[in-house]
Amino acid sequence: METKYRFDRATLPFRTDFQVAGTQCLLATNSYRALRAAEKWRGAPIEDRAKHFRMELLVELGARTDVQHGAHFRGMKHLVFVSLPPYGFLAYDLLRRQVRGVLTPCAVSDEVFWDSLLLPITVGLMGTTMAVAPLHCACLERDGKALLIAGAAGAGKSTLTAALGQRGFAVVSDDWTYISQAHGSLVACGLGVPLKLLPDAAQFFSALNDCNLRRTLNGELAYEVNPESTMGITVKRAAYPRWILFLERVDHGASVMAPCRKEFVLDFFEKSAEKLPLELDQARRSRTAIIQQLAECPAWILRTGESPQQTAEAIEGFLGEAYYATA
Amino acid sequence: MQRLDSTNYVDPLDALRRLIPTPLKAVYRIGSLRVMVETNDFTLLPILPMETDTDATGDGTLEWKLVRDPDARGLLDTPVFLSSVSLTVVEMGAACLLGLDHERRELVGFLGNDVDARTYQEFLVPFLCRMTNEALCGNMTQSPMSDSEFADA
Repeated sequence: METKYRFDRATLPFRTDFQVAGTQCLLATNSYRALRAAEKWRGAPIEDRAKHFRMELLVELGARTDVQHGAHFRGMKHLVFVSLPPYGFLAYDLLRRQVRGVLTPCAVSDEVFWDSLLLPITVGLMGTTMAVAPLHCACLERDGKALLIAGAAGAGKSTLTAALGQRGFAVVSDDWTYISQAHGSLVACGLGVPLKLLPDAAQFFSALNDCNLRRTLNGELAYEVNPESTMGITVKRAAYPRWILFLERVDHGASVMAPCRKEFVLDFFEKSAEKLPLELDQARRSRTAIIQQLAECPAWILRTGESPQQTAEAIEGFLGEAYYATA
Repeated sequence: MQRLDSTNYVDPLDALRRLIPTPLKAVYRIGSLRVMVETNDFTLLPILPMETDTDATGDGTLEWKLVRDPDARGLLDTPVFLSSVSLTVVEMGAACLLGLDHERRELVGFLGNDVDARTYQEFLVPFLCRMTNEALCGNMTQSPMSDSEFADA
């Protein structure tokens, strides 16, 4: 028996808009719960229509929940399919900047679903089509200036982010940072996603002893913690990138910073970015423009064999000097 | 039937499998429609009448891009349709994901490893034909939402 969901004026009578990572979402839905969940993201409207996207959410009691597989992502040309059992199914049209989904009532009422899945997946997939580049790096802020920390998977970006957060840096993001251009400057945004710390981080942060490990979307076991409530770390939504560190973990030895060239920054972010199909060539070019502007920031390779706390202390001292050297 | 190496495609920077090569191509005639099929798997080439006029193009032409997805396991679930004016998406579990862009006249699909040739030819190919005909031959009756509606909201 087929199930047919139609997305039109009659089936989606409620509307609102909200702002996320430098974009504006125009939400149409049949659910008050979805309207209520979107409230927390409402802010100043973004006038630039090139940064608008449409989200149409049908909330159905009968949405399929008996799915036997885990989260499943596939895409071809400008279309992307996202299955998120038991929450529902989403289809993205990246050329028209639209996402349509059928979700369960529980999903749209669940703040964790919005903060950890729906919005990060949506901005991650559609950001480049709105000149917002999702880059795989952490972002921390102090005194209005942001430090981006990039590095290979497993280098320790998240534990270092937590350690810097405990030294008074505000955390914008620990994994994905969404960077756009506004009035000639770069703006780095986060989504308030929980800090994801691998099991071995517990030896450095006693607060994790009271937390449970969870299986994350990519199958890893990790602590997913609210940095504010669990670790007393300040969280901010946006900051202006000023410096970049590329973290390299070595077996032992003190933290050492080596300046790196613009070409290294360009190469790192271009080669670690998701490949896009021909249909999204304009999106790829706008992402490159953002990376090129980002590569103008002073950047260093940080090699460290120290604990996250010791490395954070070294970074704090180094940035104090760099602030005056590059002011 | 032989499968190409591209069914073993792995690229860490293409987690969505958007760039899987589809080197096999054939052109068919389905009623008034001329359908160009691209795939990475011989078994996904439909058993349908071939088009004899291979140079013809125009409004009656449509593209199907069908990818065998070796990492998608399981059998077909009952179809769930998400329909709008510009797009029809059908989900049958991870085993079958289809998207038909009405304006661009493109149908894309991922077929899981456990969808066998018989199920594909006897159930899915007629399903794709019906879906294509319904979407492109005027069975859409919805009223689209315009951007100005959002702006006025």
